[in-house]
Amino acid sequence: MITLVRNHILGFLLLVLLQALVLDHLDLAHGWVVPYLYVLFIIALPFDTPPWATLVIGFVLGLTMDFFSSTPGMHAGACTLMAYARLFMLRILAPRDGYDIIKRPNVRDMGLTWFMTFAGVLILVHHLWLFFVEVYRFDDFLSTLLRALMSAVATLLLCLLAQALTSGGVRPR
Amino acid sequence: MRDLFRFLFRQRNNLLFLGLMALSLFLLVNGNMHQRAQAISSSNALVGQIYAWRQEVTEYADLRKVNRDLAVALARERDRRFRSLDGTDSVQTARDTAGVARYTFVTAQVINSTTHKERNYITLGSGALAGIRPDMGVIGMGGVVGIVRDVSPRFALVTSVLSDEYRISVQLKRTGHFGLLSWDTDDPRTASMTDVANHVPVAPGDTVVTRGNDGIFPPGITVGTVTEVNEDPGSNFHDIRLKLSEDLTRTAYVHVVVDLFKAERDTLEAKVGRP
Repeated sequence: MITLVRNHILGFLLLVLLQALVLDHLDLAHGWVVPYLYVLFIIALPFDTPPWATLVIGFVLGLTMDFFSSTPGMHAGACTLMAYARLFMLRILAPRDGYDIIKRPNVRDMGLTWFMTFAGVLILVHHLWLFFVEVYRFDDFLSTLLRALMSAVATLLLCLLAQALTSGGVRPR
Repeated sequence: MRDLFRFLFRQRNNLLFLGLMALSLFLLVNGNMHQRAQAISSSNALVGQIYAWRQEVTEYADLRKVNRDLAVALARERDRRFRSLDGTDSVQTARDTAGVARYTFVTAQVINSTTHKERNYITLGSGALAGIRPDMGVIGMGGVVGIVRDVSPRFALVTSVLSDEYRISVQLKRTGHFGLLSWDTDDPRTASMTDVANHVPVAPGDTVVTRGNDGIFPPGITVGTVTEVNEDPGSNFHDIRLKLSEDLTRTAYVHVVVDLFKAERDTLEAKVGRP
């Protein structure tokens, strides 16, 4: 349990710093693609995380990103919404006999299709909220939508890559 | 009563979600309206320190460009000093008509910046201790960079010109006509100049400089050059596209403009109730 908490705190710091110090500074396709890999933290929380904890962790993660990007409430809102959506997605995608709590929500344990559906929907919820709140208006709806979709694809690919790179590591019990 | 508690307990996750969401929206609205009272920003001490560390690592990659910019800035400064001897020069912009120093400049290092978001901010490695205050103008080696939004003792947060948050008052250097700088191109290299009436003879290649009426920037600071002038038949104004003279994707050092007469001017204008 202590290892699990410690690993998650390290993962939290690693993802936030990676996002703030590296990914936020990439200028891909003239700002049309902005990957937000840090949301992988919410996706990869253990299956038996209590719902209230998921929501609080989501809010805190978003607020931390807000400090780095000077956008009060923007990431916090997107992450809270994403954490809430995660509760529903877990219910919808549940296997017939419930989740095996030894397993983790990643490609190796749950399969590519399951993970792509789960992560894809959550990333989409997060990005749509984030990008529309960022522009603060609906007049260039299509270009914002396109930016959100393209960025969501980039984030999903990065999540898959990050999992492929780390799944060989020690698995906390 | 007990039913109520049972109901609240059953709905606790939904209520928690609504509470956190309301808090986020409160921060969002509040942070955007009361720009002064903004605690969640990268001028925060811990976050500023982390960005300062990052800058220490990445600044090596830009040294060549920084050197060239400094050399150019030095050359331009020297040029001004010689020209000012015969009184025809733009160094007058830094002095008022009586020849008293009007502006001083605080040099600061850029420790973090974004250029591809809808609203872009720049964090500087100097703050209130170096004399930087909110609402001061920030200029780079090439031209206008932004306006200070928030300061902490050691860091300052600057709203970049790549933002829709405000409009800087600018003018065409050749004809003297006024307009507003607005960033509506979503491209960090270009911007638009609006509110220039149709009769103004503007052509590609014209230089656009700051107007200097707002006490934020001195007059005559380069903003960019006109690249395109489009005529919209239904409008009374030109649609002017600029190439910004400062490459905001590479800005490493900036000067923060300190207007020494700001207090005097503000006191005078407050008397007659001007904003």
